[in-house]
This record gives sequence, structure tokens and C-alpha cells, in this order.
Amino acid sequence: MLKGADIVLQCMRAEGVDLVFGYPGGAIMPLYDALEGSGVRHVLTRHEQGAAFAASGYARVTGKVGVAMATSGPGATNLVTGIADAKMDSVPLVCITGQVRTAMIGTDAFQETDVFGVTLSLTKWSRLVRTIDEIPEAIAEGFHWARSGRPGPVVIDIPTDILKAKKEFSGPSKFTPHARPAEANAEGAFSDTIVALLQRATRPVALVGAGAKLSGAIPELRRLLDDLNIPAFATVHGLGAVPPQSPYYLGMVGMHGTRAANTALHETDLLLVFGARLDDRVTGDPTRFAPNAKIVHFEIDPAQLDRVRACELPVIGNLADTIPAFQAELRHASLPDWSGWRAVACGPERAEADPRGLAQPTMRFLDELFSRLPQDNVIIADVGQHQMWAAQRYRSSSPRGFITSGGLGAMGFALPAAVGVQLAKPETCVLCVSGDGGFQMNIQELATVHRLGLPIKMVIVDNKYLGMVRQWQQLFYERNYAETDLSDNPDFVEIAKAYKIHAWRLKEAAMAEFPVSAETGDLIENFLRSPDPELLVFDCHPEANVYPMVPAGAALSEMVYGDE
Amino acid sequence: MQVFHIRYRNAQGALMRILNAVSRRGLDLTSVHAEYDGQDYAVTLLLEVSQKQIGQLSREWCAIVDVIEVRSSAVLRGHEEPVWAPHPPASETVAQQSARAALA
Repeated sequence: MLKGADIVLQCMRAEGVDLVFGYPGGAIMPLYDALEGSGVRHVLTRHEQGAAFAASGYARVTGKVGVAMATSGPGATNLVTGIADAKMDSVPLVCITGQVRTAMIGTDAFQETDVFGVTLSLTKWSRLVRTIDEIPEAIAEGFHWARSGRPGPVVIDIPTDILKAKKEFSGPSKFTPHARPAEANAEGAFSDTIVALLQRATRPVALVGAGAKLSGAIPELRRLLDDLNIPAFATVHGLGAVPPQSPYYLGMVGMHGTRAANTALHETDLLLVFGARLDDRVTGDPTRFAPNAKIVHFEIDPAQLDRVRACELPVIGNLADTIPAFQAELRHASLPDWSGWRAVACGPERAEADPRGLAQPTMRFLDELFSRLPQDNVIIADVGQHQMWAAQRYRSSSPRGFITSGGLGAMGFALPAAVGVQLAKPETCVLCVSGDGGFQMNIQELATVHRLGLPIKMVIVDNKYLGMVRQWQQLFYERNYAETDLSDNPDFVEIAKAYKIHAWRLKEAAMAEFPVSAETGDLIENFLRSPDPELLVFDCHPEANVYPMVPAGAALSEMVYGDE
Repeated sequence: MQVFHIRYRNAQGALMRILNAVSRRGLDLTSVHAEYDGQDYAVTLLLEVSQKQIGQLSREWCAIVDVIEVRSSAVLRGHEEPVWAPHPPASETVAQQSARAALA
């Protein structure tokens, strides 16, 4: 006879889970009681949101399912932002929540929340377990849906009496998916159409999104782009999918994308989209997005098609299947000479100017940091100006090397996500870049970092403002800096010390000379090479802005390059 | 007015997810009728939607893991029975139509 809690853990082990993130509480106590000896390591975060983001970081960097645990009521509702983030960014995440006793459900019992209902629109699948017999099938099905197709979040809510109940356990279940709506075949039925479109195109481009990474089709994609040799660019989640040194690569596209990428996207007459959902941050004004282009959209999730801009040709399926099918067709095709178009789109006239203005020292700082990182590194960016600066300066070709909350844009993501990444990749240099606003949203996870001795390198780009909001207030609300002033920030160095974490401060003036002084260089080197967790606070100019910028509602061709 | 007919596995929350796709768009649910249809479950929805929303809703329903089939039809005056059409882009037939349209 096994308790329900033991069955949950055995079923999770069968799904390959050996690490979970969580925070205990009343209703989930039986599961915590069963952890010891289960083969599942538990990492205690200091807030349930931290657990969800840590599990997300783990999942994003490994491609495996991340698991977060929390108790009923507030524990479960604290997971919600992490669940929403996982939905938006296609992260395989399973959340196990405790629930009040079965007999108490629906009575507004202490710490009772209808987490199944609360998360219904945020989850890919969820289940309120009603009997101990349901546990194996619920775990098997939940993990299946979390990792299959377009990955996403799953909630499994288990009443505490079911976790404590006992039964004979015959082993984990296997889930067999039921019939689904027929999907367009991925065997190349449309490849000849795409080839025909390419043969007619004079200005083709390729846009790469997160789906390229999630599908595991990076080698196939890179071969295809090399063969096509057309201008290519990436969304923030697509960074690293195309090697930046590729002669046809134009960098990041969208609101803070490069001049070359946005201009080419505006001018193209054939847009090949690989695993990107074309959200508003990428398209700008959708009515003027790629106005002369036909769009071929490679996408695993049909729900992502035609949301913002209709595509002429959807290619539904896993990129790992559809790209090779397309490439096979391409081998026999004769394609036009696009060298003239390539020369214009990738030419020096459209290259980014060196950073100027108030943001220049911060850009230099990020360049210094990134250039000194060991080869094996992962950068986790929080949300805000520093996120866009980091994305703009990112130069790695590691497909899972840049992690951020791109869809939901959840401030406070980076620090707990870095915990998950570092635990998944103990030998990797993990650099966590936050702003002063976002860092304080999950600052309590410094305790997790310290307890585990994780050698995460944490950077706070401290402009003493909610910088991105302030930038919009400056540009679009006549400098009415309403409630974005954080000039009374605490001393982050002292806070880190209270958590027994070594901390440094670097003044903006240190970036005035370029290359930086030996002293500054040594500080950055020591920061990065330390075997311990380290925090580096960089003082950024309060009114530094992120440029280029496509103002909200503008077309990609209407970029703004600076304050003047 | 558009009528949608969705077959689904009656798992927890499946019907709510179908209805959520409507409510998140602020659409009024003119009529909802859900029933066991012999093998699975089916819900018939009557909605005032734009042409673009027909496609968006249908694709979003197709992405729900417990949905088996989505069909839709315009409600035509004088026609008691709607003329059902399977909904793409999931279906090969319509995807091929897309291919032809793309080359047009």
C-alpha cells in the first residue's frame, strides 16, 4: 500500500523528474512528507512565484519539463504569474498544487481557492484529482501535454486527503493521446508552393522565433538559411538560433530591433516565418507590417496563425519535420539571384551605429560583460530597458543561451529563473541581468542562491527608475514620470551582504573610457570568474533610453533612433 | 451570425476552455447547447463574429487538447439546417486551397 503522495512522486520519477521547486504549506504537507527518499530533489524558493520561475528557467534551458509545487489558496495563486508566463513563452511546466480536503471543496474553507478555475485560461491542460486512483493517469497525461506539440503549462490540483489516502499501486500509467483535429501534413505537400513563391520573390527574408529552438530543429534551420542565403533576423526568443556572424543575419527584429532587420522586414515581398507568432512587439502596426509581402508561416500551433496578420501559406507542423521536407524540395529547385537585394539589406548603410547618448555607458558595460563571459554561458534577462539592451548586445550562437520572459514580460523573472538554470547547468556561467525594479520583485530569492551556493553572476542595471515605463512617459506622456521614480532604492550591495552574498558597485563613469581601464576590466573579470554567487550593481543614467524604437502603433519603417 | 459545432472529449474544463476562447474576446454568447452525442460530447454555439474571428476562434479551439473537431457555418435565413464545413487550417483540403491562393 502506498500513500497518494508516494504515488505522485513515483509517477513523477517515471516522467524523468528528479528536481522540483516549491514552497510547503498546509494542504501539500503530505507530499513534502513523502519527499525524502523519493529520488526527487526539492529546492525551497522563498516565494511560490520564485518556484514557478525557477522551474521555468530549468525547463527553458534543458527543454525538459519543469515542476513547481505549492500549497492551496495563496500558494497556488502565487504560481499564477509563472503559469501565465509559461503559456505565453511555450514552456513545459507542471504545477502540483495541494487542495483542501475533498469534502471541504466548495465551502470556502481555509486556504481554499479554485485554482483549477483560476488557471483555466492560462493552462494547456489541468486536472482536479478526485480519487487516489486518478493520480497515475493525471500525472501521465499532464506531463504528456506539457511537453508535446507546442509546450505549455499544466496544473494538477490534489486534495490533501487524497495525498494521505492509501492504495495498492501497480505502477505509473502510460497516456495514449486521443484523436485530434486533422492537421495539415508535414511531408512536404506545400514545399513546391514555397519554392514557387521563392522563385517569384525579389526580396525574400526569414524571421526566426522561439519555435525554431523548441522544435530542436536548429541544425536543419541553419542549413536551410545557409542554402537560401537571404536576409534573416530573429525575435527576442529566437536570438541564438542564427549564428550572429552569418553574413545574412541582421539581428533582432521588432520594437527595439535593428535598423537593418526592421527595414528589410518592411521592404520584403516574401516573408518566411519559422516558429514565431508575430505578436505586436514584432509587427508594430499590423496593418502596415510587411505591407508588400506574402507570408509563409511555419508553425506548430494553428492557433498562432492569422492572429495579427493573415498569412498566405500556413505550414502547420513541427519544424523538425517541415523544414527538412522543404529543404528536400529546395535541392531540386533553381532559385533567383538575390545578391543585389542581399547587398542592400545587409549593407553597411543599414548597419547599427555605435551606441550613442545616455545609454552608451550601459551598452559598453554589457559589451564588456558579454565579451568576457566563458564560452559556456547562459544569460537570463529580466524585463525592461536592460532586457532590450541585453538582447541588442547579445552575440552568442547558443540556441538556449538567452532566456527572458518575452511574451508575458513578467518583472521579477530573472533571478528565480537563473536559479533553475544554474541547477540544470551547474558548470555553466549563468549571468542574470535585472533592473532595479524587477530585482526587487523577487529579491527574496537571494536566500535561495545563498543556501544552495549557486555561483550565479547577478547584475542590476540601476537607473533608479522603472526605466522602460519612464521612457514611455518621457516620449509619449510629456515627461510625466508618474510613480516610476525609485530614487529611494535600498543599497543593493548592503542587501546582498545581508544575504551573505558578495556584492560590487560599478559607476557609470567607469565606462567613459573605451576600452575600459585595467581596474574596471579586473573588476568585471573577478566578478565573472568567482566560484561564488556575486552581485554587481551598475549605476545607469536615469534617463538613458532604449533605441532604436518603433513607437507603439507605428510601422517598423518609422523607427526612432535617439532623443534628438 | 455564425454557428459553431465543436466535438470534444468531456474532460475536466474542456467545455470551459471552449467558452473561454469566446469570453476572452468579449463576445456575447447568443446560444450555447452542449450534449452527449453518442460517442463524445458536442457543443453548439451561436455567435456574432467577424470573418477574422471565425478563423481565430476555430484555430484556438483546435489547439485545445480535448477538442476533436470544429465545424462552422453561417446561419442563413430560410435555411433550417446549417451547411457544415470542417475548419482549417487544420484540414488538408483547405490548406491546399491556401497554397493555391498564395500563388495567385
